Amino acid sequence: MTEGSAAAPKLTDRDEFRFLADLVFKRSSGDQTFVALHDQHGGTVRFANNQVIQNVDTRRISFSVTVAFGRRHGTADTTDLTAGSVQDALTRAERLARVAPEDPEYLPPVEPQSYPIAPTSRPETAAAGPSGRLAYARQAIELCRTERLTAAGIVSSAAAAVGVAASNGLFAHEERTEARFSLTAQAGEATGWASAAHRSIDRLAVGERTRFAIDKAKRSIEAKEMPAGRYTVILEAPAVAGLLTWFIWMLDAKAFYKGTSPFSGKLGQQIIDPRLSLKNRPDHPDLLGYGFTSEGLPVKESTWIEAGVLRQLSYDRFTAKERGIDLIATLESPLFSGDESAKADVGDLIRSTARGVLVTTFWYIRPVNPTDLTLTGMTRDGTFLVEDGRITTAVRNFRFHDSPLRVFTEIDAFTVPQEAVTAETGKLLVPAMKIRDFNFSSVTRF
Amino acid sequence: MKAVNWDELAELAELAVSRVRASGAEYGDIRILDSEVQTVHGEDRRIAKVRHNRDSGFGVRVLYRGAWGFAASSILSPEEVPRVAELAVEIAKGSAGLVNEPVCLADEPVHRDQVITPRRIDPFSVPLEDKTTLLLDVMEYVHRQPGVVRSRANLWARRDLKLFVSSEGSRLEFDLLATQGDFEATAVYDGRFASRSFSTPHLRTGYELIADANFLAEAPRIAAQAVEKVKAPPVDPGRYDLVLDPEHLSLTIHESCGHPSELDRALGYEANYAGTSFLTPDKRGTFRYGSTHVNLVADNTEPETLAATGYDDDGVTCQKWDIVREGIFVGYCTNRETASKIGEPRSRGSNRADGWGSVPIVRIANIGLEPGAATLNDLIADVKRGIYIEGHGSYSIDQRRYNFQFGGDAFWLIENGRRAHMLRDVIYYGITPEFWGSCDGVADRSHRRRYGFITCGKGQPGQSGWMTHAAAHARFRNVNVIRGQAAS
Repeated sequence: MTEGSAAAPKLTDRDEFRFLADLVFKRSSGDQTFVALHDQHGGTVRFANNQVIQNVDTRRISFSVTVAFGRRHGTADTTDLTAGSVQDALTRAERLARVAPEDPEYLPPVEPQSYPIAPTSRPETAAAGPSGRLAYARQAIELCRTERLTAAGIVSSAAAAVGVAASNGLFAHEERTEARFSLTAQAGEATGWASAAHRSIDRLAVGERTRFAIDKAKRSIEAKEMPAGRYTVILEAPAVAGLLTWFIWMLDAKAFYKGTSPFSGKLGQQIIDPRLSLKNRPDHPDLLGYGFTSEGLPVKESTWIEAGVLRQLSYDRFTAKERGIDLIATLESPLFSGDESAKADVGDLIRSTARGVLVTTFWYIRPVNPTDLTLTGMTRDGTFLVEDGRITTAVRNFRFHDSPLRVFTEIDAFTVPQEAVTAETGKLLVPAMKIRDFNFSSVTRF
Repeated sequence: MKAVNWDELAELAELAVSRVRASGAEYGDIRILDSEVQTVHGEDRRIAKVRHNRDSGFGVRVLYRGAWGFAASSILSPEEVPRVAELAVEIAKGSAGLVNEPVCLADEPVHRDQVITPRRIDPFSVPLEDKTTLLLDVMEYVHRQPGVVRSRANLWARRDLKLFVSSEGSRLEFDLLATQGDFEATAVYDGRFASRSFSTPHLRTGYELIADANFLAEAPRIAAQAVEKVKAPPVDPGRYDLVLDPEHLSLTIHESCGHPSELDRALGYEANYAGTSFLTPDKRGTFRYGSTHVNLVADNTEPETLAATGYDDDGVTCQKWDIVREGIFVGYCTNRETASKIGEPRSRGSNRADGWGSVPIVRIANIGLEPGAATLNDLIADVKRGIYIEGHGSYSIDQRRYNFQFGGDAFWLIENGRRAHMLRDVIYYGITPEFWGSCDGVADRSHRRRYGFITCGKGQPGQSGWMTHAAAHARFRNVNVIRGQAAS
């Protein structure tokens, strides 16, 4: 396949964004004006039944203008960077801001900041294109076909130019890349799954992860039904990531102070196993950190849970100001890790288990009770009975009904952090865990 | 929104279609979209966000030797359109090397038409002050209720101007509008908190939907029920008869009937993400999905409903057909690609993309539960120990759509045929065909209401599907209920 028309288009660079932003600021009648850019080019090859079913490539430019008159503010967006359309966006934002009621929580854009130079972009991902994605898809399909299995999955890659700027001099711009691979290997009704995300498309480990999914699928044949109930479980990293993600989403500071958070009253208290800590690590090469937030705040390393104690909340700027918080911590690059008692891998957890259930991942996790953070969801793509330190059989999928606030206090053992990404989470580094008395509330038919 | 010049857009479209034809591809189409969305968001007695989004671009889809290619761009220019069309052709040619079973599109007549969805009041012409005043007032009303600590209120409207042109000669012009509004009250009591919400459906109507909903009249009831809910006793786990309201049923139908009736899922296309389906093609026409009271009909022709767009993104006419007839599974939601795989001569017209940058995929149609003959009072009167559920709450279902678990927005204990008092933390679960098999009554047409979704997640990259699910109240016997708490 040639790359003629598929050559990566040039994204909006730093100087072009600055020119555009200055143009808007010059023409704006607002007291403050803020602009944001997201210019992305990328694509996905999607396959199922061992063949390509979709193959897409998209260039999307998004540009937003927020204008404020006093505490009145309005935002308008456009996908067209021609002068007329940018002017139209500014005019629409001004019109909204003039008639919007005063917002008592409005704050002017953050003052100019200095940002760390984050390694957010990899040239091999930006250059991958349809043929690069197709090559990795072919590798996964061929490996599955050789094993007489059926492959379904994706390979995607994207490069984006992201920027924010304000009329007070705030300015940030960086390029980010991201690639993803996900595979479900099917052996009839049995399935195995693996997934990866990385700044570099060449770090997706497609071959290794395909073989992992194939092994899971083969082991999943002839799943036996076991009764619902409380089990010792070994949650692989993606399953832990599914629980931790909802935990992270509920750390909102405003809800905390209004009494509508599961963490209300628990700041400074031990909320999970004291061997565990949760940090933001934007500099970690295997996470998808970036240099600044959508408001232009610099992203920094921060500690959220320290030895099981809740140390940090997720602040909006108004609540932070109200509470005297100077530095707003973010958690887009979560590293959930344990102490020196961490095991090397899942195999260690299996070998130390007399009887339990090994869970590859969860699916369709949703909140049940916002007060105690009870969640529900299904096991998926590889659920196994472990007996006397080894996997003895595949079992039918369970529905769980439990809270990470309880689960993360019932940890028997855990591994060192591993890469985890699912269809419902971003990328995290989390340990696999062995949990006592995990609640499986019902069983499904497969 | 700028006035659209359809002929100018058609000239751009022709630049793409002519490239596709010249490439030797067997099929191609282009969708050019110009969308605008207005969002007004209120939170805790303030207007937190006012936003007007313009999103325009185009996507070109090409079928070459039975393999798909798709390319899209937000730069709509005479230079970019042919470049993207040629890229789509190149991508399709690349895909062709990894195709075992070439795509064969079901036949569809050529259409040339214009579709304008109904509206009385253009929501974009309503002064912003009217909208912000309404939301501030409704939040103020909500906060007058002692015990309420938080509020939220939203108004939303979207208009899509779309041109579809295919290499087969179809040319379709769309002016599609949708509107919605909602608000919510959150109360705290004894260390707990609970929310109660009110929502109009998302419908293809104008601002009259909001004007008719009378938010201010509803606000005191919603606020009072938020407080009653947080103070209510938790449910005692066990088996109950359930009476479900139309808003609640819209989600039950969506998850347990809508998704398993998508043919692409049943054929394995979604195996890596949204999942497959227990309704495999061999079950069509014979499998008992529910009781004889259960008639689920897909109707993409009913005015004002979300999937009633005249034509889908294959350029296929919207239709009405049976999914479940007297409890037997009989039909799928299909597109031109999948219909022929189960021997159907024509697509059901359920292929939709969520924007110019997305490739169309099979989406759930407007699947609704056909009314029965009872009244809501009849349904409740014949329940000794049951629960009446309104609205949406927690929801989760396995990837083949067997094992589901739902909550709700509000719950009332039914004792000896009468609503007794509110309950909290009600969660019910079951296996789809067993649950629908336990349906022994559906209310009549006067109880029928329409609710819709615009955030139905499917596809990779993820897309949001739009569809409406109409229902009247229905009763289900002997359903497993648990308490929604970690210790249960």
